[in-house]
Amino acid sequence: MRILDLALKDLSQIFRDKQSLLFLVAMPIVFTFFMGFAYRNVGGDPNADTRIPLAVVDPEPDAVLNKALLTRLGSSESIRVERMSEADAMDAYRKEDVAGVLVIPVEFSGQIEAGEEAQMKLIADSTSAQGQSLYQLLRVPISQLMSAVEVSREAADIVDASDMSTEQSAAFDLAWSKWSEASKVSLVKIEPAVAEENADWTGGNPYNQSSPGILVMFAIFGLVTSAQILVQEKKSRTLQRLITTNMKPWEIVAGHMLAMFTITFLQTAMLVVFGQWVLKVDYLREPLAVLLVSVTLGLWVASMGLLIGVVAKEEQQVVLYSMIAMFLFSAMGGMWFPLETAGGAFAAIGRAMPSAWAMNGYQNILIRGLGLGSIWMAVGILSMYALFFFVLAVWRFRKMEA
Amino acid sequence: MKILDIAFKDLTRSFRSAFAIGMMVIAPLMLTGLIYFAFGGMSGGDVSMTAVKVGVVNADKLPADSVLEAPIGDNIRSMFFDESVGSWITATDYADEASARSALDEQEIGVAVIIPQNFTERYLSGKQDVQVLIISDPTLSIGPAVVQDMVTMMVDGVAGGGIALQTIMERLDANGIQTDPAQIPSWIERYGNWYAEFQRNLFHHPDKAAYVVVAPAAGEMETADPIQKVMGLTMAGQMIFFAFFTGAYSMMSILREDEEGTLARLFTTPTDRTSILTGKFLAVFLTVILQGIVLMVAGHYAFGVNWGEFGAMGLALTGQVFAATGLGVLLIAFVKNSRQGGPVLGGGLTALGMLGGLFTANMPNAMPAAMNTIANFTPQGWVLKAWRLVMDGSAAGDLLIPFAVMVAMGVVMFVVGAAMFGKRFA
Repeated sequence: MRILDLALKDLSQIFRDKQSLLFLVAMPIVFTFFMGFAYRNVGGDPNADTRIPLAVVDPEPDAVLNKALLTRLGSSESIRVERMSEADAMDAYRKEDVAGVLVIPVEFSGQIEAGEEAQMKLIADSTSAQGQSLYQLLRVPISQLMSAVEVSREAADIVDASDMSTEQSAAFDLAWSKWSEASKVSLVKIEPAVAEENADWTGGNPYNQSSPGILVMFAIFGLVTSAQILVQEKKSRTLQRLITTNMKPWEIVAGHMLAMFTITFLQTAMLVVFGQWVLKVDYLREPLAVLLVSVTLGLWVASMGLLIGVVAKEEQQVVLYSMIAMFLFSAMGGMWFPLETAGGAFAAIGRAMPSAWAMNGYQNILIRGLGLGSIWMAVGILSMYALFFFVLAVWRFRKMEA
Repeated sequence: MKILDIAFKDLTRSFRSAFAIGMMVIAPLMLTGLIYFAFGGMSGGDVSMTAVKVGVVNADKLPADSVLEAPIGDNIRSMFFDESVGSWITATDYADEASARSALDEQEIGVAVIIPQNFTERYLSGKQDVQVLIISDPTLSIGPAVVQDMVTMMVDGVAGGGIALQTIMERLDANGIQTDPAQIPSWIERYGNWYAEFQRNLFHHPDKAAYVVVAPAAGEMETADPIQKVMGLTMAGQMIFFAFFTGAYSMMSILREDEEGTLARLFTTPTDRTSILTGKFLAVFLTVILQGIVLMVAGHYAFGVNWGEFGAMGLALTGQVFAATGLGVLLIAFVKNSRQGGPVLGGGLTALGMLGGLFTANMPNAMPAAMNTIANFTPQGWVLKAWRLVMDGSAAGDLLIPFAVMVAMGVVMFVVGAAMFGKRFA
């Protein structure tokens, strides 16, 4: 009962500050929209040309291979070709009007047909997603073009015609037309492993990724307010007075933790409701699983908040520790960038983070389309982290008390 | 003189505080270090990527009358078990699609490759109605793309062999020559050898490859090392974010003094209120400059960040200081007490930082064009724009517009904030 009284006192203190509360509510909503934008062009013009713009420097547009390649690229649904001079192309690239520049050297077609070495260059940022996509998208037709040339050379040798050039040209046209036909039929089919058929890797809704990501990040951010209570009690010496009462130390710690848990859980619940009704993120597909992940997330965050509150000497320190915890667990837990893009050691450590497990729990439901059985591991690990931080906080509290 | 005294007192208080040092210097360096660690460090270039876990279900069987020695599925499977890919692909065999899907759900593997039973038979009979199925964990993007690439390459090689065979036979026929079936294996072998060398050149000998991707020459746009640019932008983003934090938190000294009663005492002295505010503003100004210099030097030595030309650097830093200090004054004018400062400043500055592109600075084209437009309405967006120009090697003259905007924004925000303070403490 005394634990409840203490928690209610903390809550009334937190809810008194309307401006701070507004930030705790409004900020994650704004961020969710923002990250949703980042994952895809949500709400954009559905008729907009989404092909990757590519500048092509082609000094010999009538050369056989140049013509064949440019005709193929011209019909691409993924690349938008713009022919330019090299200077204009580089200028467009600098202004980010195009994602890359394909430079076909002079005499390319003639040299390749004659069996000599020649090289097309794609100038692009190979570290960017667009640069990488462009490279892959161009590699397929260029490989097929080179294949058609090799086939034509082989056919001309085997036929042993009197006019090798004419035979090679005819064989090239035939092989290239076969490649054009073959490229319409894919022998490889890709599908995401989801329980329900969806449009893309985000499960058809980019907020399926951003909503739980921001939810976890702001659960930690909420500590800037809730963890301050303990510091204020220490500074005003009400905590010391509380210790002299017959209330046990663990009851004091539990009371404060209950308040922090309530704040975190309410914020999480509000974001779940917002995600469900406004962003159409289907949290209610597995309500019990979402509830369990949210509760254990709240317990972990609250126990970490307790530790911050016990360790911090000033309100400002609470802000700093909470912000660092938010950045640290968000970055390492894969909320800023996918962990698969990070180095092996970082990804391994990141996957062990409680934030990554909370995210994993939500992703199992929202993106992987799995059921209640898929979240037990996440729930168990979050509970272990909550216990670890709680024990650490109690230990620090006892030291402080001593 | 009194202005300087107030500024000096605030500076002493700031630098004595472990919180201030942590926020100003340690936090941005730590977060940049985290990103540095994430991408494996840039000088050695040794980025050990997370291994892609692949599950293979190879049900393909060789038809009885096939000219091939082994089914195509065996070639696809062996690619993933090859020693050469052992450092970045971990492959496991699965008996059927259901067990592979179950492994995917359990996250034991990230990608499953399912080769159907009659793949070789259907393909060789010209009926290309069967497909190799790649099922991937929907939260992954790189691993599935790598696997797709490998399978497509292998299948393209097979398709190329088929096209070579058909073309040669049709050209022989067109020239009135009968195909000798005994010659077919040698034709396929010749094409196979060419394809293997073509792929080898493409991936291992870019100087000999027919197609290569190159970064723009240094000075054209990119730095010679793209990872270094990523680290530079990461450091710039963190430096800007925490400069604005410092600006706002340093201004909080006025609220603390108000709460502690020393501000009221100060007002009873002959020092006019403008001098008090100017003294506090000067302290913040100097703190943000010092913070910027320390972070730039630390960023250069710790992460090899090339900040650019000295004059341009000076303009960007000065503009950053004006903008950060001005926003600090404005934000603090809205905060009633220091307790409220945490969520309001933390939330407000994080939101403006995100809208200004500070957290996505190192991700090219991460945000839609509309977000770049929104960034133009935030001071952080303009500061980032200035640092981008400096790091791209622009001269000081190229920075005049962003510099003017940063200073103008800083001054306007300061004037509005100061007016609000004037009213509050009138």
